[in-house]
Amino acid sequence: MKKKWVLFLALVIALFTGAMMTGTTAQAASDDSLAQVQKKGTLVMGTSPDYPPYEFQATVHGKTKVVGMDVAVGEKIAKDLGVKLEVKSMSFDSLLVALQTGKVDMVISGMNPTPARKKNVDFTHTYYQGGYSIVINKADKGIYKNKDSFKGKTIGAQTGSTMYNESKKQTTDTTVKGMTSVSDLILGLQSHKLQGVAMEKPSAEAYVSNNKELASIPSDFDLSASDTSASAAFKKGSTSLVNAANKSVDQIKNQNLVNKDYLPAAGKYLKTNTVNTSMLHYWKAFLKGVEYTLIITVCSVFFGFILGVLLALARMAQGGPLMTGLRWLATAYVEFIRGTPMMVQVMFVYFGLGLVVNLPALMSGIIAISLNSGAYVAEYIRGGINSVDKGQTEAARSLGMSRGYTMRYVVLPQALKNIWPSLGNEFITLIKDSSIVSIIGVSELIFQSNIVRSDTYRGVAPIAVIMVLYFILTFTASRILNFFERRMQHD
Amino acid sequence: MTKPIIEVKSLAKNFGDNVVLKDITEQVDPGQVIVVIGPSGGGKSTFLRCLNLLETPTSGEVDFNGENLTTLDPKRVNELREQMGMVFQNFNLFPNMTVLENIKLAPMKVKAVDDAAATKRAHELLKQVNLDDHADAFPSSLSGGQAQRVAIARALAMDPKVMLFDEPTSALDPEMVGEVLNVMKELANQGMTMVVVTHEMGFAKSVADRVWFMADGFIQENNTPESFFSDPQTERAQDFLSKILM
Ligand SMILES: Nc1ncnc2c1ncn2[C@@H]1O[C@H](COP(=O)(O)OP(=O)(O)O)[C@@H](O)[C@H]1O
Ligand SMILES: [Mg+2]
Repeated sequence: MKKKWVLFLALVIALFTGAMMTGTTAQAASDDSLAQVQKKGTLVMGTSPDYPPYEFQATVHGKTKVVGMDVAVGEKIAKDLGVKLEVKSMSFDSLLVALQTGKVDMVISGMNPTPARKKNVDFTHTYYQGGYSIVINKADKGIYKNKDSFKGKTIGAQTGSTMYNESKKQTTDTTVKGMTSVSDLILGLQSHKLQGVAMEKPSAEAYVSNNKELASIPSDFDLSASDTSASAAFKKGSTSLVNAANKSVDQIKNQNLVNKDYLPAAGKYLKTNTVNTSMLHYWKAFLKGVEYTLIITVCSVFFGFILGVLLALARMAQGGPLMTGLRWLATAYVEFIRGTPMMVQVMFVYFGLGLVVNLPALMSGIIAISLNSGAYVAEYIRGGINSVDKGQTEAARSLGMSRGYTMRYVVLPQALKNIWPSLGNEFITLIKDSSIVSIIGVSELIFQSNIVRSDTYRGVAPIAVIMVLYFILTFTASRILNFFERRMQHD
Repeated sequence: MTKPIIEVKSLAKNFGDNVVLKDITEQVDPGQVIVVIGPSGGGKSTFLRCLNLLETPTSGEVDFNGENLTTLDPKRVNELREQMGMVFQNFNLFPNMTVLENIKLAPMKVKAVDDAAATKRAHELLKQVNLDDHADAFPSSLSGGQAQRVAIARALAMDPKVMLFDEPTSALDPEMVGEVLNVMKELANQGMTMVVVTHEMGFAKSVADRVWFMADGFIQENNTPESFFSDPQTERAQDFLSKILM
């Protein structure tokens, strides 16, 4: 049902990394996918948990975990394979890339086995045949009947999803607005920016049963089976694994397990979720977000600073061809990093580098942000070094201090003092920019707030909470930095 | 006959097209005080900076204690620089360090002197320049005269064999010139070898062993202070003296 451009991105990254490492394509010939999973003892499932009742976050005994009918399907497959299931959350956009780069073994995320996707990954049989509904405000119930009632109005759908494409194709005079997350779409509906939201029937029902303001109407879209069915996806060429999974999927289908067991079980989580939707109830989730945001920021500032110093020194290297080469490299690096979006860098480190070494998302995020920050810090430091009077260097050299000692003991301390405010700003910027790693599923503040939002069906409150939290973080940080700045002002 | 401590042979220096030093051959004997005078822009600073290789000569050589600095590796140059203290017009104290730290830094980092010994030596030097009560002050709180005396103490902390002074009193208010010159005189009396670029003719007359008059990239005249001031040999020097002694 979702995303198309992810295929393109996946392709680009696969091509890119394929060029770097040979043998990625050889896997199709010798398929040991099943044996590998069994050897590992775990089956890693990727999913985007913002799509109840397929998959969503629920608080179970004080712990947040991913639940939903897809997780039940994944558990069944893992159990039948005799291995443990490990669920990895990430944005829907990232799922297929994660599959192709080996971050996950399997993707179950309410995904339709469309022909386009089939070119890039292998699907199991269908484990669930859904359909589409349109969610509307209950007050409008008399006005809208189906997809054709929205002439001159706006309906929403998840960006790049099948619903989105079909809504565009199969409506006339209707504006179709795409947003990434369903909870945002519902928010748009409730604030009357949208008159309807097209989504899968079970999702629609979950939303309607949890929110008295909403109602659902049939979509009457003309759809092929592959557009409304859900399958598990595996890496292209892992036939043995797909065949094994198909045994489980067939059982699920034959015994009607989804409707009989999985959906009702998922519904229970949904019900418990609506009991207590106060933000205070979720303090643990927010605290975790703060914790991760701080971990990412502090680590990235630390490593970014070291990298920045090295880059700045390399950019000022003088001497033979070696030094010229070093300078050229450092300059190219700084220009390149500053000329590409941090989001792309984060994705590249996680997925691209992930082909060579399997880095956890948190570490990938820290690496990517450090690499990014280093380039900016390098420029501050270079400016800081240039701002130190040349007489300082001359005095130090005339005392017999080497170039290195002069830099380390005389120039750098003064340079750092001069650029302390800029470095402080960089730190504060990083507190905010670290939110980018939410796309690879690191539980920092934005990610946690999205979880709380899909958990509580409350659109604005979690955003307000993290806004305040971000402000507290940045404000405290700037107070602390000011304190140190004043302490350095003795001359 | 004593061996010269500094020998300059056919030294030339240009910055791009600007030929600053044309052909200088001179020598400094141990214990000598040389005063270099001459018109502004004549290359005096450049010459002084060539002596400790802060400026790389374009051609010619500078020998220190018999070693040709221009052909040595950087490490050896650093070692020889320790033996040539330098005092700058603008003091160039390290603003982020106290007076004491300014003095201790190089001995501790370069010579690996331990903290106690470096501190002890720093206090001795501060006493010598009459500033021991300012040991914990930061440079920004010092007057120009005090700052320059700290700079002298800092250079002395490396136990140099030669001291180079580049217009040490030019940036000072007139009432502070005396305190700095007194410290320098004291140093000369103790037998320190010194090369001093200055416009203080009184200092040149009373302290210098030789006066080098520098203009247009040459040492135009190398003379005793008595003869130089009473009976300058070159027209260039006569001209210069008539302008400043009026
Ligand atoms: N680093 C430099 N780069 C280019 N030109 C310089 C540099 N240092 C000095 N000069 C030039 O060399 C000439 C002599 O300067 P300087 O040695 O400072 O003379 P003085 O100390 O006698 O006033 C001046 O023309 C000055 O512009
Ligand atoms: Mg000068």
